[in-house]
Amino acid sequence: MTSEAAQREELRQKFADFATSRDPALRDELVERHLGLAEYLARRFCNRGEPLDDLVQVASVGLIKALDRFDPGREVEFSTYATHTIVGELKRHFRDKGWAVRAPRRMQELYLRLGKVIGILSQELGRSPTIQELAAEAEVSEEEVLEAMEAGQAYRFTSLDAGGPSDEPGESLHTMLGEEDPGLTDAESRAALSPLIAGLQPREQRILHLRFFEGLTQSEIAARLGISQMHVSRLLARSLEQLRSASEEG
Amino acid sequence: MAEQDEVRLTVPAMPEFLRLARVTATGLASRLGFTFDEVEDLRLAIDELCFALMGTRGRPGTIRLRYLVTEQALEVEGVGDFRGEGPEPTLSDLSSQILTALVDEHDVRRGSDGLPCFRFRKARMEYGRR
Repeated sequence: MTSEAAQREELRQKFADFATSRDPALRDELVERHLGLAEYLARRFCNRGEPLDDLVQVASVGLIKALDRFDPGREVEFSTYATHTIVGELKRHFRDKGWAVRAPRRMQELYLRLGKVIGILSQELGRSPTIQELAAEAEVSEEEVLEAMEAGQAYRFTSLDAGGPSDEPGESLHTMLGEEDPGLTDAESRAALSPLIAGLQPREQRILHLRFFEGLTQSEIAARLGISQMHVSRLLARSLEQLRSASEEG
Repeated sequence: MAEQDEVRLTVPAMPEFLRLARVTATGLASRLGFTFDEVEDLRLAIDELCFALMGTRGRPGTIRLRYLVTEQALEVEGVGDFRGEGPEPTLSDLSSQILTALVDEHDVRRGSDGLPCFRFRKARMEYGRR
């Protein structure tokens, strides 16, 4: 027997053992051995505006469900069975979130362009531009500006590995979030804001603090942190969504 | 523009329909000459208050929105017309803090008809606080 065939046989035996024993340690081992499959499938859905980490988590839930329901007596490989269950779980996730409706590409592109226009106009005017001013500068209607802002909503949930719309290429959100935060370094001051806020990334905690506790505007925060206003907007909206979810779970 | 214009909108109390509530608010705000910063604040305020009524996953029923536009400000009232009893509408301290930074006035309560409701007011820059 080749080593590959032996491994397959060993795995088959483990599934058979688990089906009768339901041993938690064996369950963990089998889950761990198939996490690669969950991640692989999650990646296939990661261009739909959801962070990969979240999708991997959803896929892992599908994997566990598959393992608990799998009947090794049937003539089907676990990986085939699990793929079906995991993809079903991922699809359900998107359906529940109502993200089947996506912003038109034209609006997504306008959103990216507006990021730059806002930066230029804010500097010229010394204040946040009005929607009329933005529309005139970008040579589109006010309605289109507002539509594009909505289209940007979808970007708020993009992967942490994706760049911000008007940030330097190569600089990912993850790099920015991971920076040392001089304003809120000690855990105590973070916890004092709220235990929920303490669960956010340091960069997001700081933006939240500056906006809602110190009263800075989004453009002032953008200038202070040296990032685009679109980026501040996206991080704020995402933080608020996380806080809402965390407070409901709590 | 008349002294006070009014726009009404009723949406299913589900997260995917909040987009309509936001677009209506920002469309009216744009007419008033709100800045990009202020429009962003409005969008966050609409979300925060609608979610306060219906929870993050939504509820069976509708949210009835009433937008009042004056020369200086936009005022939005929302009523959660839900099926079945729900929890008492309240804002956490954190939500109140957030809304205080976003809008000039805000309130969440149970209305005289027994339905949960909110109200907020946001003035444009030269009339408001900042």
